[in-house]
Amino acid sequence: MHEEQFNAMRQSIVDGAPESARESANKALALGIDPLDAINKGFVLGLNSIGEQFNRGEVFLPDLVMAGEAMKAAVAVLEPEMQKRGTQREILGKVVLGTVKGDIHEIGKSLVSTLLTASGFQVFDLGVNVPIELFAEKARELQADLVGVSALLTTTMQGQKSVVEALDRHGLRPKVKIIVGGAPVTRDWADKIGADGYGQDAMAAVAVAKSLLHK
Amino acid sequence: MNSVWARLTHEQCQQLHSASLEILERTGARLFNDEALALVCKAGAKVVEGNHVRFPARLVEQALSTAPKSITLFDRNGRPVMPLEGNNSFFGPGSDCLNIVDHRTGERRRPVLQDVAEAILVCDALNEISFVMSMFLPSDVRQELADRYQMEVMLHNTTKPIVLVTYETSGCVDAVEMAEAVAGGADALRERPFITCYINVTTGLLHNADALEKLLFLAEKGLPALYIPVVSGGTTGPITMAGGLALSNAGVLVGLVISQLKREGTPVIVPGFGGDALDMRTMVDPYCDPDPRGMAQSLAHFYQLPMFSLGGASESKLVDQQAGIQAALDMLIPAASGGHIIHDCGYLESGLSGSLAQLAICNEVAGWIRHACRPVEISAETLALDLIDQVGPDGQFLKLPHTRRHLRERWYPTLMDRDTYDGWLAKGGKPLGERAGEQVSQILATHHCEPLSRTSAEAIRRVVLRAEAQSGSESPAPVSGGSYA
Repeated sequence: MHEEQFNAMRQSIVDGAPESARESANKALALGIDPLDAINKGFVLGLNSIGEQFNRGEVFLPDLVMAGEAMKAAVAVLEPEMQKRGTQREILGKVVLGTVKGDIHEIGKSLVSTLLTASGFQVFDLGVNVPIELFAEKARELQADLVGVSALLTTTMQGQKSVVEALDRHGLRPKVKIIVGGAPVTRDWADKIGADGYGQDAMAAVAVAKSLLHK
Repeated sequence: MNSVWARLTHEQCQQLHSASLEILERTGARLFNDEALALVCKAGAKVVEGNHVRFPARLVEQALSTAPKSITLFDRNGRPVMPLEGNNSFFGPGSDCLNIVDHRTGERRRPVLQDVAEAILVCDALNEISFVMSMFLPSDVRQELADRYQMEVMLHNTTKPIVLVTYETSGCVDAVEMAEAVAGGADALRERPFITCYINVTTGLLHNADALEKLLFLAEKGLPALYIPVVSGGTTGPITMAGGLALSNAGVLVGLVISQLKREGTPVIVPGFGGDALDMRTMVDPYCDPDPRGMAQSLAHFYQLPMFSLGGASESKLVDQQAGIQAALDMLIPAASGGHIIHDCGYLESGLSGSLAQLAICNEVAGWIRHACRPVEISAETLALDLIDQVGPDGQFLKLPHTRRHLRERWYPTLMDRDTYDGWLAKGGKPLGERAGEQVSQILATHHCEPLSRTSAEAIRRVVLRAEAQSGSESPAPVSGGSYA
């Protein structure tokens, strides 16, 4: 049933086409397809497929990012109907994300945000130049499972350590996990400052987030 | 050196120049510094909103007419050694690698200040290395003051010109103070500059506060600045090379305008690279990407401005075949297209690691290139027609004085193997990387840099100690690798 529709949904993600994804989602609702089915039997399969192609080096990062954007577009259409039905997409976890104070580099962090969102995490992106304390305050307020701290400069990397300390001070750990990333960040550094995880790129960040939350 | 290769035609350079002018007039840039903003507005730039300004083309043309077409860098002793003009190429290392691949062990580890001292000493000894950069970011000093320690160590361990990189403006001010102390005052340094400062600008159209402050400071001092906006194709600029270069060049022109408004005739060195892109599979910044090669050199020659090129770097993680191939290709092309200051020799892992063995290999390649690109003398002496006639069809040239007189003009390797098989085996049968590591060890065991005077050494130490005191430290690191006269 609706095989053709599910294929179109999947394809809209593979093509990285938010317009088509939105269109397929609307069509699914019009046909009375359960929005959860639309996600799990349609859109998510596209995401899995593009992820595998990326890992094989067949597609490039912008393809992956646009697949993530298409996913977001589809979910945005389906969400109100899910709420109406009292169902919701399984959320893998709540993530508070930001680039640390003194650092205005956005691209890497936003990429992680897109890929986490597309993978089923609920992401609260605090943006760039985020004060140390705000990471802790938001994590508490939003009951986050995970805090992600980005830094691109060797000088601002020190701020990642301060965020770890701030979360400790607020008594949020070990319940709240911390992951760090950015060009100069290494596994050694993550271990040294007591972070729970580190990913060398955005794809790795998703895998680390999943494993930390046992998903 | 003869320029043998131009990637872009004059017409293409003209197109890129017009494109950059259009970007500045139509899109404009943000300047995160009030003085720079006031200078350009007074000169006729239009404020879009806040710090976002559009530049009329005449501002750029005016700046291009007053920026010096030639800059000479001197050595620590005030001798002119790097005339940045024409097709003169000079090779040197890069700065601030986060890791060192140790030439003794092959181990990849965090560098310490002693590694910076050793790197600079090796640069001082290597004939084809014309200038230095810090090579490593030392992990055993207070991180926010690492630039002061690097500067002190560079001043102690080489007499060659220094391209310095600092975090904040205060680091640049301190480094200039140290150089002035060594040169014998501000006027002496301005007249015979042996330093230039590398200024990193966020993107072509975002000019961060530190970059503009440093540019204005150096303009006031009359010291040469390298103004380098970073545009990564596919993220902070178009992925197409033309669009990427037009955008980064627009940023360069912004720097040029501000420097000339601050002080007409201020020496500015422009980038000899641009049109780069991130690897869209790994997000790694490839330092040896073939696509944009030679474009920015063409453009800098079109402007007739001194340039800071990139070459000798590799994305390889070790001193291996990839590292050798990439360094050689990427040193040849900037030199063949007339790049002036060519930096990043010894870089591995896109600049995240550095290796002194790799640096020694680059030194060897640089000599090879110098010989391959140098002008050929055609004269009675070099044609040797009389000798050819005297020797005739049946004689030989081995015993002639002419042979001994000229044989040393040709290039001879110090690392590349030209031995017979048995000869190579008798010397241990070692691969290039191992031989390069041994050359580095040999230099470190035997080479000494001409020491600084005691007065200079004490003066630069005071700057380091003052910076430590200002940052509230009680345990400054000692001088590394330096000795007093």
